[in-house]
Amino acid sequence: MGHATIEWVYVGAVSALLIWVGSAAWDVERVLEHVPPDAQTIKVIGQQWFWSFEHADGTKEINELHVQKDTPYRFEITSLDVNHNFNVPDFTILMDAVPGRINTLWSQFDQEGVYLIQCREYCGYSHYNMKAQLFVEPKLETAAAETAAAPAVAPAVEEQKPTGDVTLTILEGAATQGNPDYDPKELSLKQGQTILVDNVDAMPHTVTSGEGPSDTNSGKLFDTSIINGGESAILETADVETGTYNYYCTVHPYMTGTLKVE
Amino acid sequence: MVLEVKKPRPLWEIIFSTHHTDIGLLYIIFSVTFLMMGGALALAIRAELFLPGQQIIPDPATFHRFFTVHGTTMLFLWAIPFAAGIGNYLIPILVRYKDMAWPKLNAVAFWMLPVGAGMVWLGFADLGWTAYPPYSIIRAPGPAAELWIFGLKILGLSSILGSINFVVTILRCKHPDLPIMKMSLFAWSILAISFMQLVAIPTFAAALIMTYTDRLGISGFFNPALGGDPIAYQHLFWFTFHPEVYIFLLPGVGMLYEMIPKFSRKPIYSYQSGVIAFMLLSTIGFASWAHHMLAVGMSFTEKTVFMVGTLAAVPASAMHVFNWIATMWGGRIKFAAPMLFGIGAILLFFASGAGGVVNTALPLDFITHDSYWVVGHFHLILMGTVSLTFTGFLYYMFPLITGRMYNEKLAKIHFAAAFTGIIVVFMTQHVLGLYGMPRRYFDYVPLDEWIAMNQIASTGAWVVGASYLLMIYNLIKSSAKGVFANMKDPFNIGEIYYDYRRREPIH
Repeated sequence: MGHATIEWVYVGAVSALLIWVGSAAWDVERVLEHVPPDAQTIKVIGQQWFWSFEHADGTKEINELHVQKDTPYRFEITSLDVNHNFNVPDFTILMDAVPGRINTLWSQFDQEGVYLIQCREYCGYSHYNMKAQLFVEPKLETAAAETAAAPAVAPAVEEQKPTGDVTLTILEGAATQGNPDYDPKELSLKQGQTILVDNVDAMPHTVTSGEGPSDTNSGKLFDTSIINGGESAILETADVETGTYNYYCTVHPYMTGTLKVE
Repeated sequence: MVLEVKKPRPLWEIIFSTHHTDIGLLYIIFSVTFLMMGGALALAIRAELFLPGQQIIPDPATFHRFFTVHGTTMLFLWAIPFAAGIGNYLIPILVRYKDMAWPKLNAVAFWMLPVGAGMVWLGFADLGWTAYPPYSIIRAPGPAAELWIFGLKILGLSSILGSINFVVTILRCKHPDLPIMKMSLFAWSILAISFMQLVAIPTFAAALIMTYTDRLGISGFFNPALGGDPIAYQHLFWFTFHPEVYIFLLPGVGMLYEMIPKFSRKPIYSYQSGVIAFMLLSTIGFASWAHHMLAVGMSFTEKTVFMVGTLAAVPASAMHVFNWIATMWGGRIKFAAPMLFGIGAILLFFASGAGGVVNTALPLDFITHDSYWVVGHFHLILMGTVSLTFTGFLYYMFPLITGRMYNEKLAKIHFAAAFTGIIVVFMTQHVLGLYGMPRRYFDYVPLDEWIAMNQIASTGAWVVGASYLLMIYNLIKSSAKGVFANMKDPFNIGEIYYDYRRREPIH
């Protein structure tokens, strides 16, 4: 082993490089782990296959998250069914959402705009379509923020249960693949009649025109957007020409049905 | 014992044989078959992702089944059986023993593989090859998931039996005149991975049983609804499967130590450093498993420990690379096809190793984690390093197996196409990951950059696929019609080839 010196030099150089990379990474991560004390908490809940958010003041959002620019936020991330991963690639936000655990992560947004929130941990059928939008809005001054917040505490308007000409029920347990979903599966009505979509399931659902998430014309004819569990929505058919249309649920694309407009 | 298609032996004679070359041959045919089957799934996946929207695969569930079976096949039905096959062929020759220590056990270990493979392919599960709970226990449809679980149990048991046989053959049946520090480095690599398998696999075997009872609902090890912890599974899983990365890699390293000195016409630069690097990798490989889990919400201390553990494995890999380059340095290199594959593999080993350092550097992991970067990274090591080496070694072994030479020109075209294709697919996927595309997506947001990079990757994948079809054509045709090889020195390099003729085959 007379020629060992050169190998020792080489191994030493590689090790020195790795020590440099490791300590630089450690140093950055040490700073990133430190959550600013004035950070606002947002609860993030992943479920098959949608994201729900709850702000510190109790406001809840589904598949949309509104935040203010230059404000530190602390995300408390969890899941209610299988593993998900809360990911905003534009801001390098990435953390697993694991049922039974609350993972935390903080971030601050320095550019206004609309950004993609996606799921990065395989979670089943609609994993690729578990998307949400992040709206980064201008920072409100404190006084303005109070005024803006005022309507939120205004006395609740007496809720009127909407009515429609025909009723489409989303059955309990519809979120599980294979269970009965829409009732009736084939809904017939006259053009111009309104549909009351009543979601009696505990999960959010939609009634969206199209064949599925890959259909480029999806939602162009009619779309209820998200209806939370236990809530209902009205679907107008005045602009829909006569014919038979397929619809599905954007959250659970295996839920499908047809609408016959006469 | 030479397999000549012109002088065929009855099929049953090979199938029921317990001779190590016959079982080695069965292992090799089995693994190359599954390489092509797993590759077909990969090409379907790439065709699906060529454009956004649904293309050739009817629905997302089928797509998930495709990538699950692709991953399971490539790891457990190609990489491990191929290494076992070459080990079967060469270990008794290299340690100068008449056969493996327990020939019948050897045959049993092989014949468990088709059973496990059949269960994995008939079930066609959608768990992802990692089968993370709670998905795998509360949502994955059966009986596909059960078949996957028991298929993997059988494949794991087969690996354990094979490992025991290798350890005993190398340590107990080695010729008394052959000191262990003169033994071939390929034998060292098989010894190292056999010990690693014996330590690593039982953990995953336990996790599989726990997953199964969780699916039955009689336990809740990983089910949060019953007080279990899904992260516990990930620790058990990666405690097996990070070392498994080295179990895939080290036989390839050993094969490069067989080929490079011979085609460079020089002795290995430093035999001792090769042995030391094997020992280091097979122990440090157990200290880095949770770097696959940096984003599950671990404490800063845990993350630091596993980053250090991961970085600590790099110098040992670098020692191997240094050893190969120093061996080639100043040699009269003959650039035959096996050597070309070897050199390509070394280049890509360097690239994937550097990518691995990026993955583990903590803040950077949160950019690359579960994105196409990771897909590019592990394919670069498994396809670029492990499979290219294995393919090169298959060409190198071809005269020993068949007594004939393969078509050198076609083999070189195969190398050029496969090497270029691999770089095009997997380097592009690294960049695609940096653009934020997550892995395991059936459909993607139609951003121009994502579409362009997916199309480049798909094209590269088809080039790789075509090159492997060329290899199959070349090997089948040459085994029947190739020119007879000069068995003393089939590659005309003036070095001794494997000589097994002095040992009479037993039947």
